[in-house]
Amino acid sequence: MVLDRDKLGELYGKVGMGNQTMLGIMGRNRDISVGEIFVIYSQRDGTERVFFFRVLGLENYLRHVDDIGGVAGTLMVEGDAYLSGIERNMLLSVNGKMLGYAQQTNGKWTFMSPRRLPDHLASVYRPMPGISDEQIRTMLATQTDGHIYIGDLQVGEDTLDVPVLIPSEFLPMHVGIFGSTGSGKSNLMMVLIKSIIDSNMGLTGVSDDKRLTLSAFCIDPHDEFAKGVDKYGIQSIVETMDDKTRKEVVGDFYYLTTHKKATPREVKRYAREIRVQWNEIQPRDLYSIMEFTPQMSSFIDTQYSQHREDWIENILDMTDDPAGTPSGTLNAVKRRLGLLERSPIFEKRCSSILDDIFHAMESGRILVVNTSLMSDMEQFLLTTIVTRTLSDMRRALKSSGTLGDFERQGYMRLPSQFFSRVKTQAKSFYGIGGITDDLPVRDPRNLPVILVTVEEAPSILNPELMRGQSVFKDISRQGRKFNIGLLVVSQQVSVLDNVILSQMNTEINLRLGNEREIRACIENASVNISGFENEFRVMSRGECIVTASYRELPLSVRIPLFDSVFEKDMNDYKGKKTGSTKKHEL
Amino acid sequence: MLERILTTKFRDTLKLLFADITNQQDRMDEEKFSEDEVRIKERLLDTIDLYPPDVLLDDDFLVAAIDGSGTDNFMMLDDIRVHLLSTATVVLDSKSRDGCFFEPLSTITIMQQLGSQPHLDAHWHSGVRNDARNKLAETLENIYPLKDVVDIVMPFFRDHTDGIVSSKSDFTGTIYEEYVPELTDMETLITRAQMLTNPVVHDELRKVSEYAAARNVLTSDLRPKYLLLDGALSVFMHFARKYPSMPSGFMLRDLAELARREGVILCAVSKNHTIPFAHRIAKTAQDLFGEDAKWFCHLPCEDDPGGGLHIIEDRTYIPPELAVPYLFSFSQENRPSRIDFDRIWWLENVFVPNDPIATRQNEKALFRDLEFMSRDARWYGYPVALALAHESCKLSYEDLRLARDISKDVRRELGLVDRKIEPMRVDYNL
Ligand SMILES: Nc1ncnc2c1ncn2[C@@H]1O[C@H](COP(=O)(O)OP(=O)(O)OP(=O)(O)O)[C@@H](O)[C@H]1O
Ligand SMILES: [Mg+2]
Repeated sequence: MVLDRDKLGELYGKVGMGNQTMLGIMGRNRDISVGEIFVIYSQRDGTERVFFFRVLGLENYLRHVDDIGGVAGTLMVEGDAYLSGIERNMLLSVNGKMLGYAQQTNGKWTFMSPRRLPDHLASVYRPMPGISDEQIRTMLATQTDGHIYIGDLQVGEDTLDVPVLIPSEFLPMHVGIFGSTGSGKSNLMMVLIKSIIDSNMGLTGVSDDKRLTLSAFCIDPHDEFAKGVDKYGIQSIVETMDDKTRKEVVGDFYYLTTHKKATPREVKRYAREIRVQWNEIQPRDLYSIMEFTPQMSSFIDTQYSQHREDWIENILDMTDDPAGTPSGTLNAVKRRLGLLERSPIFEKRCSSILDDIFHAMESGRILVVNTSLMSDMEQFLLTTIVTRTLSDMRRALKSSGTLGDFERQGYMRLPSQFFSRVKTQAKSFYGIGGITDDLPVRDPRNLPVILVTVEEAPSILNPELMRGQSVFKDISRQGRKFNIGLLVVSQQVSVLDNVILSQMNTEINLRLGNEREIRACIENASVNISGFENEFRVMSRGECIVTASYRELPLSVRIPLFDSVFEKDMNDYKGKKTGSTKKHEL
Repeated sequence: MLERILTTKFRDTLKLLFADITNQQDRMDEEKFSEDEVRIKERLLDTIDLYPPDVLLDDDFLVAAIDGSGTDNFMMLDDIRVHLLSTATVVLDSKSRDGCFFEPLSTITIMQQLGSQPHLDAHWHSGVRNDARNKLAETLENIYPLKDVVDIVMPFFRDHTDGIVSSKSDFTGTIYEEYVPELTDMETLITRAQMLTNPVVHDELRKVSEYAAARNVLTSDLRPKYLLLDGALSVFMHFARKYPSMPSGFMLRDLAELARREGVILCAVSKNHTIPFAHRIAKTAQDLFGEDAKWFCHLPCEDDPGGGLHIIEDRTYIPPELAVPYLFSFSQENRPSRIDFDRIWWLENVFVPNDPIATRQNEKALFRDLEFMSRDARWYGYPVALALAHESCKLSYEDLRLARDISKDVRRELGLVDRKIEPMRVDYNL
């Protein structure tokens, strides 16, 4: 099939010369912006290839200055030197990067890493909104398809109608969202939550068998998600749904908060209060969020092995260091546990929210967790407990052949009171064909993908804490076996632990604060984006570069404002049969 | 072969050779140089007065420059040779008032005045007897804008005979009389017929292309102050006939005359030249004026006050017929370059008889401009217009490969039978 070249965009010029990092284009000399994509059509031996070249820097002339350094030197040393007519020449030298090429085989487009270069005099096109969208969408399908919509492909200053999505099967391999304050992380989170809902409803993404039901535990430190920042929030989606859809997709609640009383009335209907019992906390949870001396942790471990889930209560009741424990250890541990004593959400006896969280996460729900009234430590501890509980449940499942095995495994791994309460429910999620003990269990990889957001990630995913018995270390390495992924949200990359960084397979890089973070981001990216420094420097809010280990092409994406995507799609939430796939349209 | 080259015997041969050169040539030159040294120091060398970097010139001016490139071996079709020629004209505006020094004129202006740049042309001839000469004459006639051969040849005779032979009728009674029939036809102007090798043909084509471009500049409305050519203003004379042995020699004089009439300063700059003792003159200049001084040095001929230099006594081609060469250096990074001016213009505009001081002032004003147009950081010390012209016309290896690909394609398109069209492989080039 021969490609309609007019659909590639506006003809810009011809390739004069070039290599992987530089393109000499004979073309119209006019503004080219950093981040711009040039699309180069090349045909050789009957094979059509379309190369993608990203502009990373410009020189407005190309007069073969072999030694730019030398010229700069001359300009310095010879104070009277000038440069003649440099902006007038027709041949532009554009620094950038050959990202790869799309190639059609048997009617299907694939995308290849840049092992070749376009021919000389190949035509260079500049993709244009309204002209190139469909063609680019087709050619880049393998690079942009998936289930979770992030935003639309950006080319320079324009945005094409080419939606960029993340395939749900890669979510358990962890996603990073990096951006300085004000870069648009919160808005992105809301867009993602919406995309998850849409995906569960079958509204977005490719309709294939790979689509998994998705659950997400979304920490909302500023209580922005439910009501939104401007006009709409997640609450708007929930309210727009008809009763049936809401019941199927949202359930009875989606909003968790510390103080239900302080919740606006319309949200309150979907709210639950966050309460966790001391006996649902394990020593590991604390080790994951704060540092303990070896004396302290050995003391705690001893107490835990003696008293199991009552360990906290017991320690808090003790008055003297037990024999064999260095003096002062008890007091030090008690000081740390003071957090729990003072906290309104961690209580000795209460009706725990963990059961609800477990149920929601195994049912393909999203939870917006308002942590704005919690201390940082409470927020971290909650995230940890939830993550550990959910993963230990699935771990117990993974090591079992039958539901009977599962029950034994569950009691071994999880606090017994909690497990007693949820085990019947769990068996209904995990068993195949019923809940009797002899029935086989399901593979966790067929269960909903659970995404847990880790906000202010450097506080818990730092090298110091990850050195110890951090719950997150296990999840980073093994999450994909249990279909549990971390959504790591951070203003910084440089301070995150290598274990989590190396296990991350999708990065959404928003505008970054400083050169050090830019460098860290580039080094961490799953695709080689060296040379993109300038692009990071000129990025504005809501723009991001998406890199993924399963894609060759780093994608520049413009994230829409939540309000605009909601307004566009709001009709889809009413009386819609779930399970149908809607084609994307702008 | 290699085993011979690697022997000590070969090294010894070379040693002997170099010793010989030192003994005979260098020593002789050294003696000659010492005879000239005082004169060079005191009369011929001088520093250049510099315009300050932020100068506002009273009269901003245009500089035009022309360069050409090409290959004599673009394609071979059996015994047919195809030459490829490229010529580029660049016109810059000194623009001191805008602060963007020596900015190229807009492409549109250049297009309107000179046609699109650079020019690309092809030429061919076969190995059939006289075909090279035939075809060469034909192409030259095509290329050069002035068509009447008599008009082309007369400027040379006017300048050369100091006006005695100034029209065709003046040939009567002169040594040229017997050649008049040959002086009216392009083909018979080529008097080096026996030596029309492929490189000679190519050279002539290139020169004439450049001269044609220069003539177009002179007849345009642009009126540059300077017109720069690449190379020297040399005219190669026929030994017996005492006039140029190739049409390009006449054309150069036609250009010189036209330039004078239009008030354009014609000069030719060469980085690669064979002026002996350029390095010694440079050293002398450095000793005199300091390490990073910018300087020029006149190379006089026999007719100039004080006569010719000893160091160039037996080099008959320096100074060239009807030209005045200088050496100059605008940057200590490069070896000195050579610049030639039209001698007739020079006598009228630079040289003041019996007034060396006034002459020097004229020279200084000239080099001051030339230096000013040579400060581009990319080619510091070399006139930027020439550098840009060179960049614009040069045919890279890549360009040629592509041009050859295209020519093959065109032949296919025309349905021409495939002959052996590849140029000979280098390693097969016996
Ligand atoms: N995709 C977008 N397009 C346009 N504007 C956006 C986009 N995303 C965010 N903004 C605007 O930028 C501002 C900050 O966005 P947001 O609160 O999402 O940033 P943040 O990264 O969460 O900041 P913080 O670190 O302070 O929480 C908001 O006013 C929002 O309207
Ligand atoms: Mg935020």
